[in-house]
Amino acid sequence: MIRLHNIERSYPLGRGQIFYVLRDIDLDIATGDFVSVMGPSGAGKSTLLHILGMHDHGWTGEYFFDEAAVHHLKSKERASLRNEQVGFVFQQYHLLDDLTVYENLDIPLSYRHYSKSERAALVADALDRFQIVGKKDLYPRQLSGGQQQLVGVARAIIASPKLLLADEPTGNLHSSQGEEIMELFRKLNEEGVTIVQVTHSEKNASYGKRIVQLRDGWIV
Amino acid sequence: MLNDLRFAFRLLLKNPAFTAVAVVAIALGIGANTAVLSLVNALLIRPLPYRAPARIVLMLEHFRAQHLDAIPVSAPEFVDYQTNCRSFDEMAVFQPGTFNVSGGDRPERIFGAVGSAELFNVLGVAPIRGRVFEPPDCTAGHDDVLIISERLWKRRFNADPQIIGSKIVANGRGFTIVGVMPASFEFPIPLFGIQGAQFGERADVWQPLAFTAQELKIRYSRGYAIVARLAQGVSAKQAQAELDTVTAAMRRNYPDNYPKDDSFGITAFPLNQVVLGPMKPLLLILLAAVFLVLLIACANLTTMMLARAASREREMGIRVALGAGRWRLLRQVLVESIFLSLCGGIAGVLLGIWGLDLLKRIGTQTVPRLSEVNLDWHVLIATFVIAVGTGIVFGLVPGLVSGDPNLTETLKEGGRGLSSGPRRNHLRQALVIAEVALALVLLTSAGLLIKSFVQLQNVDAGFNPQNVLTMEISLPALTYSDNATRARFYNEAQKRIASIPGIKKAGFTNILPMSGTNSDSSFNIEGRMSDDKNPSPDEEFRQVSPGFFEAMEISLLRGRPFSESDNADAPPVTIINAALAKRYWPNEDAIGKRINVGASAAKEKWATIIGIVGNVRHRGLDYDPLPEYYMPITQTPNSQAVLVVRSSQDAASLISAIRTALREIDPAQPIAHVRTLEQVVADSVAPRRLSIWLLGLFAAIALSLASIGIYGVMSFLVVQRTHELGVRMALGAQRRDILRLVVGHAAKLILTGTLIGLAFAFATTHLLAAMLYHVSPHDLTTFAFVTVVLGAIALVASYIPTSRVIRTDPMLALAHTT
Repeated sequence: MIRLHNIERSYPLGRGQIFYVLRDIDLDIATGDFVSVMGPSGAGKSTLLHILGMHDHGWTGEYFFDEAAVHHLKSKERASLRNEQVGFVFQQYHLLDDLTVYENLDIPLSYRHYSKSERAALVADALDRFQIVGKKDLYPRQLSGGQQQLVGVARAIIASPKLLLADEPTGNLHSSQGEEIMELFRKLNEEGVTIVQVTHSEKNASYGKRIVQLRDGWIV
Repeated sequence: MLNDLRFAFRLLLKNPAFTAVAVVAIALGIGANTAVLSLVNALLIRPLPYRAPARIVLMLEHFRAQHLDAIPVSAPEFVDYQTNCRSFDEMAVFQPGTFNVSGGDRPERIFGAVGSAELFNVLGVAPIRGRVFEPPDCTAGHDDVLIISERLWKRRFNADPQIIGSKIVANGRGFTIVGVMPASFEFPIPLFGIQGAQFGERADVWQPLAFTAQELKIRYSRGYAIVARLAQGVSAKQAQAELDTVTAAMRRNYPDNYPKDDSFGITAFPLNQVVLGPMKPLLLILLAAVFLVLLIACANLTTMMLARAASREREMGIRVALGAGRWRLLRQVLVESIFLSLCGGIAGVLLGIWGLDLLKRIGTQTVPRLSEVNLDWHVLIATFVIAVGTGIVFGLVPGLVSGDPNLTETLKEGGRGLSSGPRRNHLRQALVIAEVALALVLLTSAGLLIKSFVQLQNVDAGFNPQNVLTMEISLPALTYSDNATRARFYNEAQKRIASIPGIKKAGFTNILPMSGTNSDSSFNIEGRMSDDKNPSPDEEFRQVSPGFFEAMEISLLRGRPFSESDNADAPPVTIINAALAKRYWPNEDAIGKRINVGASAAKEKWATIIGIVGNVRHRGLDYDPLPEYYMPITQTPNSQAVLVVRSSQDAASLISAIRTALREIDPAQPIAHVRTLEQVVADSVAPRRLSIWLLGLFAAIALSLASIGIYGVMSFLVVQRTHELGVRMALGAQRRDILRLVVGHAAKLILTGTLIGLAFAFATTHLLAAMLYHVSPHDLTTFAFVTVVLGAIALVASYIPTSRVIRTDPMLALAHTT
């Protein structure tokens, strides 16, 4: 599904010096895989995740997503590919504070040209599936951290992405809430969603099928 | 789109302080635009309230050799034009007049006009009741019918449905009301400034004009203006050519009355041009001023929206991560800014309505056609377009900025985003510079006008307006049919009024200085021949009573003033002013010299010059004094007069006593237009004062907006630098070092804005030249003063947020993250 070859990401430091965040990354991820990326702070884990999610465009190398050569795609084409294929879960949940749960779930669909009735059906499905129907009119500040992340996961998969990227999805959660989320990920993976998560937790990493270790920008 | 709108509404509710400041800024900008657009719409764009007004012309004669450029016509001249011109569908003649209407609680003087039968057809306005004049009404003895205005019908007759055919007594004569004109009808428009028309007096009564046989013989007695409707397909130029041939024939046929050369003629002025022309420059300047205010408001709003965009980077990053494209984010920000702008626009319209009401209260009596100004749907549509445009302008840059978030940074925990990036700070700083520059241009313009006005207030008018009361009296021709009865009234009135305790001096004049009225007349100087090459002099002419110069405190330079003995039986006398003495007797004593008034020297009595008085700025404080000569009202009593009373106490407290004194002489005699002389002087500069008031207000708004903008941007920049400033303080920087660093940075921006603004002001203030009085458009004092004031206010605005930071504990500042 994903093939990275010789991916490098760097920032200029001035006076011609360059700081490398990622070096010579080669990585293959198959459909249905569940990869945990680990490593110390500053290793380049989140940067790798943002490159996979096509948020970051300042890298060099080759990136194939299914048959698409992402490194040759224009910005608009990458955005389109991302919208169709990728969902995100963030450590801070990143729900929009001024939207209700229902509206937060609706918003990715509104950016994807679904009709109003299709959107209503999909949101209703998601509310039902994640058992948050009773919370649909609440605002994020009225939810617990676990509930917010539940909404975050629901929002990430509502448009049925092939790939789910998660950046420290349980980092801000109580351990029991974290376990619930990881169980949810496992279930989604079993349903066929490919997952790449960044985590510091060995326990969370164990939910994945394999672990990729990063150190100083290199895969080790 | 509905979702975007709903979200925008929620955001505005969530940030009430932001919303309030933004709405007020937009309301000020749009309200100023709405008010001025209403003025422009009513006074420049909206057609005059007549049918096809573009085809209506006002015709006035000229005698260029005597420097008379626009004077009325006489009755026989009108007949000539009407008979011989084919370029006009119809031609009418009119003369403003007053009507002393008796009956009811007290007699009332009402302003109106007499006009020929064609008048209402030329103007193309139909009555709402009854009929307009018909030719038989305009024959001697049958002119006892009146048309009244809807206003008068409602006010005085309580909208009586049986008004047509009712009888009223006006000027001592019985009249039958035959028609009621609609409230929108206004004629003559006061701006015409023709014989007796004064600002603020709308005509409410119209009487048919019946020329007397005697009147039709006298060519030199000119008191009428012609209004005519161009025939379909005939241009004003073609009509003018025809008029030129008619005046050429008049010169040939009446050689005693006209010069042989073409210095005599008549000009057809398009009515639009006569009415609207003088207001155009002022309105265009006001329009430019409110546009600048709106630009400053936009710059302000842009900086506010940029600051908010910075605080919303995370939200925008999430939206992009969830699939929003650049256009969707731009659309969302634009929906928010347009929605905000429309809210401000609604507040602005309300502000504009309130401003217009205020403007009308201040200026209706003094600025022509101001009463017609209102907020119609044209202005509302324009305001809507401006509001939407404003929303797009101040939302565009923040929208583009928001649509391009750095996802890797903004979505990271504690990510800094790009709000602190140098590119955006440059933009904010550029906006501060623009605000300062634009505010300076407006402040300079307002400063120049204010200085002009101060100069004008210090001008010597030639008389002392303090503690003087004036009121108008119109003696009806029926009751006061000859000179003797009129003279008797004036003498008696003067005696009675002078005996009222508190009154120091009283006098009459037919024309009050600075009242908007004027009269001139030609005269001959004994011993000097006049011919085509040296026509008879024609100068400003007044009829005044004994006591007038003393009541006005017009200085007597030589000779003596008029006395009671200068009556109809005494030898004619005259008093001239210094300007006239200098012009005609530059190197000799004018006292004792003789002149006579009127075109035919042989028939008139010679009047001896008995005194020379000081010059009076009759036309206004901003006009140089002109040569004038005065005749005693007791020798040639006019039926229209203005009573001038100087008192030792508050002049207004004497009105009742004066009214009682006049009623004792003639109970049916009303007084009208009671004003203090100070008010008359103030009214004479009212349009100028109004323009200063408006431009000053807009400049003050601009200054406030610019100050708020500077304060906002400096607050933002200081908050951004709080951590850095904390480090500096922790490393030993003193408060003054921090102040110097931050305020010094602001000072550079302010200085740059000031220099740009000064250059722009220097290049544009010449457009104000016509509105300035004894002040150069590049007056250094004004430029310097305005620069210092703006600079000081801007520095204070940048000091306040800085002072807050330097009072912060360095440890707290160090802990601060953006």
